Amino acid sequence: MGKIYNSVFVFQPKRFHFLLITFIFNFCFIQTFAQQPVTVDSSLLERIASLEQKVNYQRLGEDHFMMVGLTTFGFVSNKTTSTFGGVSQVSKTNSLADASHYEFSPMFLWRHGNKFLLEFEPSFSGGQLGVNWGAISYFATPGLIIRGGYLVLPFGAYNKRLAAGWINKLASDPEGVTGATDYALEVEGGFQAGSMKWSYDLAISNGMQLLADGSLQNAGITDNNKNRAITGRIGWLPFSNSSLELGFSVMTGKVGDAGSNTENVKANLYALDLSLVENIKPFQLNIKGQYSITDINHADYLNPADSSNYSFDNHTTTGYIMAALRPMFIANKILKNFELAARFGNYTTPANSLRGTKDNSFAVGLDYWVNWRTVVKFSYEAIKGTNTISANLGGTPGAVTQSNSMYLQFSIQL
Amino acid sequence: MKILHKTKLSLLTIIAIVIAPALMMMNSCVESQKIAAKSGAQLWAENCQRCHNTPSPSTFSPEKWETIGLHMQSRALLTEKEKDKIVDFLKQ
Repeated sequence: MGKIYNSVFVFQPKRFHFLLITFIFNFCFIQTFAQQPVTVDSSLLERIASLEQKVNYQRLGEDHFMMVGLTTFGFVSNKTTSTFGGVSQVSKTNSLADASHYEFSPMFLWRHGNKFLLEFEPSFSGGQLGVNWGAISYFATPGLIIRGGYLVLPFGAYNKRLAAGWINKLASDPEGVTGATDYALEVEGGFQAGSMKWSYDLAISNGMQLLADGSLQNAGITDNNKNRAITGRIGWLPFSNSSLELGFSVMTGKVGDAGSNTENVKANLYALDLSLVENIKPFQLNIKGQYSITDINHADYLNPADSSNYSFDNHTTTGYIMAALRPMFIANKILKNFELAARFGNYTTPANSLRGTKDNSFAVGLDYWVNWRTVVKFSYEAIKGTNTISANLGGTPGAVTQSNSMYLQFSIQL
Repeated sequence: MKILHKTKLSLLTIIAIVIAPALMMMNSCVESQKIAAKSGAQLWAENCQRCHNTPSPSTFSPEKWETIGLHMQSRALLTEKEKDKIVDFLKQ
């Protein structure tokens, strides 16, 4: 034990000198290099601070507000020939701005976080300023969206998805396409089931209003009774590539004015819609169709000719089928932007009513796509209508009206 | 009798609209492997053209695509996964 103690603490001059030199060397080294002052260009610091500020200004927030929308402008030339009892009357019109199809509709989208979306679309069309819709949506769960406000009801597919000028392949809308915009509460969603896809859309609204001629007011509706209308649509996409969609819709509710003789009159509407988009290279084939039935219960109406009551079977059908073909996959940069479209339609309103007619229509068009959301359309449409208004209502049953229209139209998504 | 028949038909249709999706959701909400493996680009090509031409990713900024994604999820009734994948693709 004593040997160990002595071997550690015995003074050794050589070892002491070595330790002293090492200590002094380390001390000088640290002092020389570790405390070296760094000089930074102050202009560089200012530039970094400025960039930090700019980046901060560009930082994405939770909310976002933007405007999209559409505008459609064009020219229409129409010739209408009415024939009854061997006598024909011809009228011709030319209209710049195509009053029935001119539209400027900016759409405001306000994303409030990732769960809420406000949508508002005012519209200037037909010389009037109106509102297409204004609603707030809550994206509750992956398969559930809850919406409230003034909205397009989920009846058929045309009004909600295909009516915009830059989407519709032809310059005009199919005649008599049924639909409604109303104050409503709506639930909707899409979900996958294996390789198929389904969607549902259900709305409860104030309901459509029965008018004096037996038709239904389907926009700007006055809440005329305490009953609420229910509208729903189921969509089925049976193929994994979503190329085919079939939809079935129903709308039901009382439509008569409270306290009137039509108070309990109810309307039941049904619709089937079809969408098929198939790439058959070098072409893309696009087929759309919709057929709807409107049944309104029996009611007595006032004959404006002699103030007597009259009635009729208030049954309306309307349908169309449209096919478009575009050589989208060819190499030619000009030709690939052309698209040919054709549409057949039928619109039959109640016979022996004030608006009785049986219309058959055919439209054909050639479109040029300037880009994916801008199109110039040249369309021709012929509608042949046979009058079914009874003589005691002032009608000329059997009279034929032939309407031929040519359109040149420009439409863009903003 | 005719009115009663129509009322029953309407009622049955509404029930079908409400119940059918609920049953299907309970029974089979699982997407197939083929669907799960689809890329955003593929879903963009398949779904957008159902109504309109496929949009160019350069049309809007990433932030705008987020907003438009919500709008289109509602309009076309896309599933949330489809919407997320398509938006991620368009934002690139």
